Amino acid sequence: MTGKRRRTLGLVGLALVWALVAAGCGADEKPAAPGAPAGERGGVFRTAVEEFNFTGAFDPTGEYLGAAWGYLQALTRTLMNYKHVAGTAGNELFPDLAADKPQVSPDGLTYTFKLKQGVKFGPPLDREITSKDIEYAFSRINNKALTAQYGFYYTVIKGLDTKATSIGDIEGIETPDDKTIVFHLTQPTGDFLYRLAMPATTPIPQEVAKCFTKPGDYGRFVISSGPYMIAGSDKLDASSCGAMKPISGFDPTKKLNMVRNPNYDQATDDLRSNFVDGISVTINTNTVDIFNRVQAGQLDSNYSSKPPRTVLAQYLTNPDKKKLLHSNSGDRTWYLYFNLLTPPFDDVHVRKAVNFVIDKAAMQQAWGGATGGRIATHIMPPEMLNNKLNESYDPYASPDHHGDEAKAKEEMKQSRYDSNKDGVCDHASCKNLLMVNRNTAPWTDAEPVVVESLKKLGIGVRPRELESSYDTIQIVKNMVPIALNAGWGKDYADPYTFASPLFESTSIIAEGNNNYALVGITQQQVQEIGIKAPSSGLPPSVDADIASCLKLPAVTPEEADARIDCWANFDKKLMEEIVPWAPYLWESVNTITNPSVTKFEFDQFAGLPSFTQIAVNNKVNANTLT
Amino acid sequence: MWRYIVRRLMWVVVVMLVITLVTYLIFFVLSPSDPAVAFAGRQPTPEIVAEVSRQFGLDKPVYVQYALFVKRLFLGDEYGWPGLGFSFTTRSPVRDLLIDRFAVTAQLAFGAALIWLAIGIPIGVASAIKRRSLIDRLSMGFALFFVSAPVFWLGLMGLWLFWFKWHVSPGTGYVAIGESFTSWFGHMIMPWTVLALLYAAFYARMTRGNLLETMAQDYIRTARVKGLPEWKVIFKHGLRASLTPVVTMIGLDLGALFGGAIVTESVFNLQGLGQWAIQSVFNDDLPSILAVTVVLALAIAIANLIVDIVYAYLDPRVRYT
Repeated sequence: MTGKRRRTLGLVGLALVWALVAAGCGADEKPAAPGAPAGERGGVFRTAVEEFNFTGAFDPTGEYLGAAWGYLQALTRTLMNYKHVAGTAGNELFPDLAADKPQVSPDGLTYTFKLKQGVKFGPPLDREITSKDIEYAFSRINNKALTAQYGFYYTVIKGLDTKATSIGDIEGIETPDDKTIVFHLTQPTGDFLYRLAMPATTPIPQEVAKCFTKPGDYGRFVISSGPYMIAGSDKLDASSCGAMKPISGFDPTKKLNMVRNPNYDQATDDLRSNFVDGISVTINTNTVDIFNRVQAGQLDSNYSSKPPRTVLAQYLTNPDKKKLLHSNSGDRTWYLYFNLLTPPFDDVHVRKAVNFVIDKAAMQQAWGGATGGRIATHIMPPEMLNNKLNESYDPYASPDHHGDEAKAKEEMKQSRYDSNKDGVCDHASCKNLLMVNRNTAPWTDAEPVVVESLKKLGIGVRPRELESSYDTIQIVKNMVPIALNAGWGKDYADPYTFASPLFESTSIIAEGNNNYALVGITQQQVQEIGIKAPSSGLPPSVDADIASCLKLPAVTPEEADARIDCWANFDKKLMEEIVPWAPYLWESVNTITNPSVTKFEFDQFAGLPSFTQIAVNNKVNANTLT
Repeated sequence: MWRYIVRRLMWVVVVMLVITLVTYLIFFVLSPSDPAVAFAGRQPTPEIVAEVSRQFGLDKPVYVQYALFVKRLFLGDEYGWPGLGFSFTTRSPVRDLLIDRFAVTAQLAFGAALIWLAIGIPIGVASAIKRRSLIDRLSMGFALFFVSAPVFWLGLMGLWLFWFKWHVSPGTGYVAIGESFTSWFGHMIMPWTVLALLYAAFYARMTRGNLLETMAQDYIRTARVKGLPEWKVIFKHGLRASLTPVVTMIGLDLGALFGGAIVTESVFNLQGLGQWAIQSVFNDDLPSILAVTVVLALAIAIANLIVDIVYAYLDPRVRYT
């Protein structure tokens, strides 16, 4: 069919659809999620990204990229899930496939869920989702070959150790009937419900997935359990493994198109509004072109692309455009870390002094001002702690966040690296320190601020801007004393996802390490990795603090409150006693929309625009998505 | 001549092996980081890293990995021939990605080549014939401008003007010729032109210089004295000899474009080999890096061979044994 005839037919089809919609308007309106402002139904949400960058080829079992979780939120459902809205409301959990919150045993070791009726897989399947489908997802997580990249979150389930050599039953998961699933844990895990909201736990149909035994292979065949399906899923021949060809709507080098799942019943879903008929994500390697297309109306918004400075400036300085710029907390902290084994940062007074002296306001300016994010005054973003600990808690406060040289020097005087007690480091270990950084803005713009701030304390750093800056700091043997390129965002809305990877001693590994400060490193680890411990001794451990907060339940609001209080106190201990970092920014995620977006919403879980709550009026026909 | 060609082809194989060996050393041995870590998620455990390493074949000694790579390259693998493995990033067969990307780059390179020859050579000829005239000065001004203007700037200016402001171009992206010829042409004309303008400038200057030199030769004077019309003197005698170096350059430039049109491909969102090379390096996608290296080395080597053969045809004084 030629392009011209296809366009003509498309227009006729669109007119027919529009006429039908106009005739039925109001009579057949599907209910929006309770509490959500109504949006216009229809159209296709169109966006673009430079590349997908999937870590697990979009296979829900292994995929560990935040943006991928955003796409999977439109395609899949889990036992518990979020409303995919912004702020603390977006970090709140609700039953999704589960009919209600689970029954939890008094010892916190058994979780029993009843599933909703009438929730089906999308085409080519047409059957109800059962407890066995959810159990199968866990069996895949447990299979070593499928490389579940965050499978460690589920090793609290009895019999699940992610080392199984085949896909089989798990001792700690029972499915007494099709609508009941029971989890038996090895230890109380207060954030277990959050872990059940992660995409790896989405129900997976064995009849399709059994054909894909290599990691990532299932990624081009993801069967929907949510409001949308990959375009072309209805044409997938699932009659045998050999017959299956990749679903046309997903090509990892070109596009991801999603259309409504015809088997989805909105009545079973209180969390998602699903205004748009389709979602189109295309690859565009030219970042500026993405934003030009948003402005021209060929795209409705950017997705994971950061707006370049010039584009941001256009929108910030033009009152008509400013309302099209949306800034939301990304639940991510950017920070300077200190290697606690490396002089002079093995002295807590030096670390505290740096926290006092850093000009955070200037660093925020390097990030684009308030649009770039809020100045971070402690480790965890306020939304992670339900705003119980926010900007008002600032243990290293300074006038207008420009740094307080006097207080910094007072702190430095208490350090052993200031022998003449003049507030300036006079030890050789303060000179010529390697500081690793990224080689792009805004980190390169923030770098001179850090260099000059540290100079006031007599700390001289030698910045190295590297494309491979993350690889460098993740190799413990490199013993990088200080770095500017580090940042961390949550996996799910419980502070454990900050605490464990960043500060737990068991998280320290020779390569791929995220506990850059080496908090809690043991003598055995020092020897195994082959590094040198300072004469002052090893850094303190916070493992016990993490364990005590982790086991606190969070099923009732009161329990959740108490758990948050525990984490808030943990944050304070880190900032005031351990001082592994000088956090400087809670980054904002900036989205620029076209006026075609009539209702914008941000998904706090994915940290990106919310596919299931956004509405557009572009009248694009979803049938054009293939 | 055939013996010469066979000998050169054998040398191509040797060159390819050397280049792939050096690439292997750079990315597999000298790399500061383990790519298995990059693909083990953001909280990798030693077990996951080990498993990913095994899946990627990185757990074997480097010389074994290289030997397997060479064997699969020549004999094929589970995905077909040539055996290039699977992409670490997409888990798709590299061979399939290579075919897709090669097609895009080939269209970009050949289309641009046609345009730069169509623009550059006539300008060079006109400039040489009308030396020191207004035409000559304008032509060399054109050449200077487009040699100096960065390709990315030309591309972005072109997009801003023809797509954003005047809406006469469909903008960035690639549409396969089978989907719609007009859409394909509409998407390709701007990247062709942007890429071609730089080369057209070079070729205009080169053609002008070569033609001026040739036209000063004795045999040209003889041709004129014999009473040949001027146009025959220029086009039949002068141009043929002066285009020989141009032929050499075309071959080398086309060969280089197969891995080097990174800027044009990125600006215009054409998913070709150059852009793939950059993405693969940034993503530590080693099989893809190797595949692009193989293709680029082969393209340049084959281009050199073709140029040498054509050279022998154009210049009877050149003979190979």
